[in-house]
Amino acid sequence: MLKQLHARLCSLNLGLWLMAGVMLTLAIGSFSRGSAEGAGLNDLPLLLWLREAPLYYSWWLWIAVALLAVLCLNATLCGIEALRKGRSLAPQLMHAGFLLIALAHLLSAYGGFKQQFQLPEGGSIGFPGGERVQVERITGETGPMGMMSAYRADLRVTGGELNGVRPNAPMFHKGYGIYLKEVALDPVPVALLEVHREPGAPAALIGALLFTIGNLMLLMQRRGR
Amino acid sequence: MKWLLIASIPLYLIGSSRRPLFVAALLLQLSFLAGRGLSLGRLPLIGPGDTLAFFSCSIALMSLPFLYARELAGERRFFWSCGGLAALFALCALPFPTLNMPLPPILDTYWFELHVALAFFAYALFGVAALLGGAFLLKGGRGFLDLQYRAALTGYTFFSLSMVSGGIWGYYAWGTYWLWTPKELWTSILWLFYSLYLHLRAKGTDWDRRFAWLGICGFLVTLFTYLGVSMLLKSSHSF
Repeated sequence: MLKQLHARLCSLNLGLWLMAGVMLTLAIGSFSRGSAEGAGLNDLPLLLWLREAPLYYSWWLWIAVALLAVLCLNATLCGIEALRKGRSLAPQLMHAGFLLIALAHLLSAYGGFKQQFQLPEGGSIGFPGGERVQVERITGETGPMGMMSAYRADLRVTGGELNGVRPNAPMFHKGYGIYLKEVALDPVPVALLEVHREPGAPAALIGALLFTIGNLMLLMQRRGR
Repeated sequence: MKWLLIASIPLYLIGSSRRPLFVAALLLQLSFLAGRGLSLGRLPLIGPGDTLAFFSCSIALMSLPFLYARELAGERRFFWSCGGLAALFALCALPFPTLNMPLPPILDTYWFELHVALAFFAYALFGVAALLGGAFLLKGGRGFLDLQYRAALTGYTFFSLSMVSGGIWGYYAWGTYWLWTPKELWTSILWLFYSLYLHLRAKGTDWDRRFAWLGICGFLVTLFTYLGVSMLLKSSHSF
């Protein structure tokens, strides 16, 4: 009975059906109001959103998450089985990368954080432990078409050094990232800052690296076949 | 400069069954993109006009190794179909105005250019894989199917690298490597589709015809991910 269950859980057919199922639910979900950018899916950690959102918004994501959970189990068992039989390492590295990325999403879905702050020069953000990050200076340049071509905010942690925050160049402090989203210079300089915590990011990066190494190894192996 | 792109279209349509003419048309497109790049100071990867031209050029560029593959020697119809596909997307690019503005600060990073360029190389290889699947269904011959697999696997590698570079860019730009937008959902669907396709290879030769069809369907999913999402669904992550 257990052997049968194990054989079924690590079968290729199950993996194929699960992948097809996830694709189908995501495809349906992409047309639903739940995935629309106004539905708040990007504003809350996923698990919190799933708990709060009405089921007619989130049903497709519940199904996708459930199917993905079984797919992760399938990939784990398949990988162990393949390693036990001494098969090529490349696909197993890809499986391991995929599993780490899934774990990363789970960590971010549970412990992620995002909040926006609109601050003038002199305004500050409070952090756990009583520390504050203060906006000291906000600058920007307007391009020939009237749009902001470059902008920057200089931030200082209480008693610390000055850090320049620009688009694509955030500041990291105590596990949080501080991102500069927008700047307005008139009538007074104001910066729109976003504070993020993405606990899954390291696992996602390691997973992506493992996946890439496995993928390149597979490509080399199959080059002449 | 647009005349370079326009000139490549008849060359592909009339002459791409001959490799030298195919290469000449590709050189015209590369010159067009290089000219655009030099005038803008960046890769031309914004807006439907530039991205369709880049996609067309990517198809021709990614077809090139297959045109010189030993297994496809003398397959002039296949050469022509690659040229025809490149011409189709070059033709689609023509009505759209080109966007000559500087990059918005959030897009002004090498991660963005890497992410988009790799995605188009992958899309192009998925297109070549679809053509090889069509050739297998019409003419038979396992060589087509083996090459289809290689094209799809290389495309999948490019696509995975594009997703990784997009995730890194997203983390530095928006604070997260993942956003729930229709574009990202379809990107995942496309990635899962080709994961499924590559796993299906293990099912053996009984599945050859289904395998070929799947390679063709994959390109339709690709086109929906690239064009359909931008045109039919509301997503901040488009063109």
